[in-house]
Amino acid sequence: MFKQHVTRELSAFAHGELRDDDSRRVSAHLLSCDRCQKEFEEIKFGMRLAESLPSRTAPASLWDGIEASLRRETSEKNHPHTSSTSSMYRPRLFFFADWQRVAAVCGVLLCVISAGIWWSYKHATRSAWDVARLEGAPTIDDDQFGAQGSLRVGQWLETDGASRAKVIVANIGQIEVDPGTRIRLVKTRLTEHRLELARGRLHAIIWAPPRLFFVETPSAVAADLGCAYTLEVDERGRSLLRVTSGWVALEAANRESIVPAGGACITEPGTGPGTPFFEDASEAFVEALAQLDFEMRGTKGEAVPLNVMLDEARPRDTLTLWHLLSRVEMENRSRVYERLAALAPPPAGVTRDGVMKLDEKMLALWKDHLEIIWIQESIPAVRKVWRSVWEQSSH
Amino acid sequence: MESCAVMSERKIGEHIIESCRQGDRDAFRLLFEAYKDKVYSIALYFFSGDEALAGDVTQQVFLKLFTKIEQFRNEAEFTTWLHRLAVNCCLDEQRSRRRFVPFGDAFKLNEPRERKSQEAAFGQSEVEDSVQAAIAMLKPKLRIAILLKYFEELSYEEIALALNCSKGTVASRLNRGHKILARRLGHLRAALIRGE
Repeated sequence: MFKQHVTRELSAFAHGELRDDDSRRVSAHLLSCDRCQKEFEEIKFGMRLAESLPSRTAPASLWDGIEASLRRETSEKNHPHTSSTSSMYRPRLFFFADWQRVAAVCGVLLCVISAGIWWSYKHATRSAWDVARLEGAPTIDDDQFGAQGSLRVGQWLETDGASRAKVIVANIGQIEVDPGTRIRLVKTRLTEHRLELARGRLHAIIWAPPRLFFVETPSAVAADLGCAYTLEVDERGRSLLRVTSGWVALEAANRESIVPAGGACITEPGTGPGTPFFEDASEAFVEALAQLDFEMRGTKGEAVPLNVMLDEARPRDTLTLWHLLSRVEMENRSRVYERLAALAPPPAGVTRDGVMKLDEKMLALWKDHLEIIWIQESIPAVRKVWRSVWEQSSH
Repeated sequence: MESCAVMSERKIGEHIIESCRQGDRDAFRLLFEAYKDKVYSIALYFFSGDEALAGDVTQQVFLKLFTKIEQFRNEAEFTTWLHRLAVNCCLDEQRSRRRFVPFGDAFKLNEPRERKSQEAAFGQSEVEDSVQAAIAMLKPKLRIAILLKYFEELSYEEIALALNCSKGTVASRLNRGHKILARRLGHLRAALIRGE
């Protein structure tokens, strides 16, 4: 199928200079086009390089040269003072001149202060996101706002049990904040927008290209890969991610879980992201995974829940098995490999030995092939097993 | 609220400019203080870190600004006028220097840094120096677009006004500029990530 590449529009896209419909078109294209994705990574890198240059302060001596030139020019224009000016009036003229100078300096100072206030305001608004109250009385840094508010870098937006809010994420998307939620705007700039979710739940819809929007939770960072998702943090700092469209990466402590649409993932402080799974996986599969991830990981006992998972796994659950390859003990890795290979044979170039040695290229190649299964299979009715696992372990 | 900010910007601008028209030296000084660092930064990076030349160009910009302030039309945004003036001064100076300096000679000093071993640890200042050198090696039209975007934080429309070209041309120049920077400084990727 003919694809209209978007390489020429990538800088404008990243700078938020495209119209909404064009922005969505580019975003959709990026999700499906490796070539443009690679190009976009290059563009973003180029932008980061350009952003890295600091502003320089002009030497103070520059003004002396300018003033000297201005003085010269003024003196050339003005007629020389005539000697007829009465000396008795001179003091009065000087006084007048001084008074004018003082007034001018005061005026200029006033302007400087006004300009400073305006500059601060302008810069503050540039680094702020618009917030709309949806229900109740959400607050920003403990202050209630009307129908609209503004969330600046460093500020907390908080909803109580009866309030909700919507936040416009720069020009790349929006999030809805559920009751009982506390979020902070950490950073917003062209190449990175970052929120902290301390507790509660948010629903994000992001039409930006991959890795522009991040949400930090106490146990992991959710990196948007172009998607819609719900992220929830409980009182213990555990988080639950559910992806409804596109992809999200959960990252912490050198561990990354890639979660596609229809998938979910639980994270725990100190442990980081668990293994992703599809929401329609069997109850036994999900419960065994929870045991493996958060109770028995790295112990000899991990073989028990692993047995259950290998028995229960469907082709679609290769999402979980592929992630487990690098997470289970060596002695169990071969069993995961066998089951994975039975469900979805490895492509050419991927060998058993390579996988057992966790060869990154081979794992990535196999994942590329598995993604077709993860994306294409329809999502049957969600059985919400994950929800009961999440809630039970929260108490 | 946004419109209030815009209004106050206009009022402040007009007030100061009016004072400048009347020859108020303090108003000139205020304008200079408000914009000098941005103009100087653009000139400095445009001319490959040549501080003396950047200082000269900055002085030229403000002298032209002050001597021609009466030509400023109220309906035009003052800052657009300033940006165009800065751009023209840089490009004019570049053109005049080309008559005397063989093409590329101005950047030879920066080339050894490009050849540094990849294993060498890059500090932040080294990253900045390399980026500065790479920006200086861009074609002037790409270079000035990058500088207006990142130092003046201008929108594409504002850059287009300053450069007297279309928004599409601005988008194209920035795209090319970003790609060239990324290609030439690919070895800094790790250093940039570490520095964050």
